[in-house]
Amino acid sequence: MRSLVPIALTAAALALVPLWLSDSDFRMGLALEGLLFTAYAIAFNLIFGSTKQLFLCVGALAGVGGYTAAILADRVGLPMLLALVLAAGAAAVTGGLFSWVAVRRSLDVIFTGIITLTFSLAFQNLILGQRNLTGGETGLLVDTGAGTILREPVPAYYVFLGIVVTYLVVFRLLQRSHVGWAFRALRDDEVAAELAGVNVPRYRIYAGLVGSGMLGLAGAFFAFTEGFISASTFSFGHVDIRVLVMVVFGGLGTLLGPVLGATVFSVIDEVLIGVGQLRQVVYGLVVIAFFVGFKHGLVPAIETLVRTIAGRMGARIGTKGD
Amino acid sequence: MTAVVLDGIVLGLQFGLLGVGLTLVYGLGGVLNLAHGQLAVLGAIAVWLAIGTGLPVLPAVVVGLAAIGLLGFLLDTTLMRPVYARRGDERVLLGLLLTLGVAFIIDGLLNWRYPIASLNISIGGDPISILGVRMRTGSLLASTIAIAAAGLLLLFFRGTTLGRGVRSVIQDEEGARLVGINPASVRNLIFALSAVLAGLVAVTRSMTSPVSASAGIDFTILALIVAVVGGLGSILGAFVAGILLGIVNTVSSFYIGQYITTIVLLAAAALTILLRPSGLLGRRK
Amino acid sequence: MLEVEELSVGYLGDDVVHGVTLTVAPGEAVAVIGSNGAGKTTLFRGICGLLTASHGRVTFDGEDVSGQPAHKISRRGLAFVPAERHLFPGMTVKENLALGAYPGRPDPATMDFVLSLFPQLADRLSQHAGTMSGGEQQMVAVGRALVSRPRLLLLDEPTTGLAPKLAKAAYEALATLRSEGLTLLLAEQQVPLALDLTDRGYVLENGRVQLESSSEELRRNPEVRRAYLGIT
Repeated sequence: MRSLVPIALTAAALALVPLWLSDSDFRMGLALEGLLFTAYAIAFNLIFGSTKQLFLCVGALAGVGGYTAAILADRVGLPMLLALVLAAGAAAVTGGLFSWVAVRRSLDVIFTGIITLTFSLAFQNLILGQRNLTGGETGLLVDTGAGTILREPVPAYYVFLGIVVTYLVVFRLLQRSHVGWAFRALRDDEVAAELAGVNVPRYRIYAGLVGSGMLGLAGAFFAFTEGFISASTFSFGHVDIRVLVMVVFGGLGTLLGPVLGATVFSVIDEVLIGVGQLRQVVYGLVVIAFFVGFKHGLVPAIETLVRTIAGRMGARIGTKGD
Repeated sequence: MTAVVLDGIVLGLQFGLLGVGLTLVYGLGGVLNLAHGQLAVLGAIAVWLAIGTGLPVLPAVVVGLAAIGLLGFLLDTTLMRPVYARRGDERVLLGLLLTLGVAFIIDGLLNWRYPIASLNISIGGDPISILGVRMRTGSLLASTIAIAAAGLLLLFFRGTTLGRGVRSVIQDEEGARLVGINPASVRNLIFALSAVLAGLVAVTRSMTSPVSASAGIDFTILALIVAVVGGLGSILGAFVAGILLGIVNTVSSFYIGQYITTIVLLAAAALTILLRPSGLLGRRK
Repeated sequence: MLEVEELSVGYLGDDVVHGVTLTVAPGEAVAVIGSNGAGKTTLFRGICGLLTASHGRVTFDGEDVSGQPAHKISRRGLAFVPAERHLFPGMTVKENLALGAYPGRPDPATMDFVLSLFPQLADRLSQHAGTMSGGEQQMVAVGRALVSRPRLLLLDEPTTGLAPKLAKAAYEALATLRSEGLTLLLAEQQVPLALDLTDRGYVLENGRVQLESSSEELRRNPEVRRAYLGIT
């Protein structure tokens, strides 16, 4: 249970956000988007951070979830809950398939990246092309969820906070379980992991399935809370690039790295609204400045700092004791 | 049908020129330059600006391409240094992230200063008939430039000592150092060359259709696909992949339609990678 | 021609070679013998600039070359043939050889000399180096070094992976080079072959020079005989 303390503290901190943002629907919207990206980042971290599979189709998998949920609920008339489950399942199967292919063909980081990138772009085109189903460029209005608490800024925020906390718990439980032990071995040294009897391919596929399911579920929830989705909601440029930057910035493979990364970049986004079109330039400068500086991300950097300070203090106390 | 295939080959040569720079930079130093397309567009906008000052088209193109080459050189000597100081996966990841940062900055600056700029070089004159196919002068000139550039490149890499030196660094960096080649200066040179080639492709594209300031990401993705399908690090592979994908592109958009074409193109690329993960002409390591 | 003084060198801050001093006079052939892991390769990589020494000095032709990168040292006329050869696998034999003269073009007389030394290569100039056998690759590697017209040739384990007959042939080629007046420094585990070829030798153990003497005397030294010549 002690391992859940960081998650509880994070949840408590994020739960306080509406206290000073709730007077502005616009800012609550930004905060909700921050949580959506946090959820994406945790899922991506599970796939890339833990098993080195570079999925450049985070947005597309969330989109599979989003469009599946919206179409099943609005057009087919399935209940919302069933639509959510099927949406998550559709994304999980799609992502799991990529993992399976990557494992079968033993594709490395770059090739997995390119394959999933081509899927992202193809998905984007499919959404734009299948007008009568997806609304094409105009986007899709989602009726399901209207009139429920999902459409009210503050409750919706807490729904997404619930998703983020659940994802963190799942991530931590996986980390602590037999699976997590295998993930860690895999991250540190694949060959050694294999020698130690870890079934590397199987864990890659697990990570692909679970992570993609999480992406699909987040995308599906977003469709219902926002009431509108379009190709750009799930585009490579809007989602994947930001998620990659957030996760690497926060610290690949760490529990809280994605939360920290998503929070920092959401705040940067908010601050930079004033700069208007130069926002992207500043974003680029921040990315370069940070990655030249920290090579393993912010969370490990903070941990090292804390350890160094603690070490010094310990040393000083030790000298005094002598 | 001949016309369509011919169109595809011409388009494919441009794809190849776009991909070859990316493949070379990756082969030499492990940097997958995600700002490649942005450099191409920046080159086109530089030419557009030069034309705006009243320069005739040809000198403007020379000035614009020289400027983009210089920028490539400067990027490699400054920003890429910490990347080359690392090894393995870490180098690849840092290279991706830093060039992504550069892509953001270029896109952002262009969007801020020249949001509606687009280069459109119109070449006058009547259509000319080649192999029974009528081609517009613009696309004919673009093709000639692409063929000449591709030929010169292959000649450079096969027939000159410096060109062989570049290939030697890709094949065995330590061996290259032992025969007196400085890999760092080869990387500088090739980064600059790759930026010039990217700019050149944007300029030749602008002879048939306008190249807008926001087209960077499309060029980058196209270059990535061409380079990976051809085999990262393979010069000839980039051209073979470029031409194949070019033909697939024009044939499918002629017979099936533009919307499906992109998907067909992507599927062709994905299929090639799955069947031959090292690319068409890549070497297995 | 080559003076190595108190050289310490290794990987990632861990020295493998500790304070090695050795000299090679013009026209001389010198052997560095020692078992696997004695530090011969690390020493040679330190001399030719592939590794940066943590301590000590390397002087080549009267000029301090310590800390200079490999490509500069190579252009000064010090050619190194590593045990792993480091050929360019996707290029033809001819291209591999020609690159030895980088940045210039190969001198035709030198090319002819290399092909007379290794006649087998003459028929295979257009074969890709990556598709050749170990013995042939070794010839290309030595040939590539010779095309640079070096004043000093460093060879690390020239017989690695070669069958005994091929190893002997390789040493015959080296003997020819000696008689042409080329200065040689070579590291070798096949001690008898090396001592037959050279004038002097150094015995390297655990990264330190244990013994230094004429090759003649080393052949007679009881410890060398026991440890490296398999004679008890």
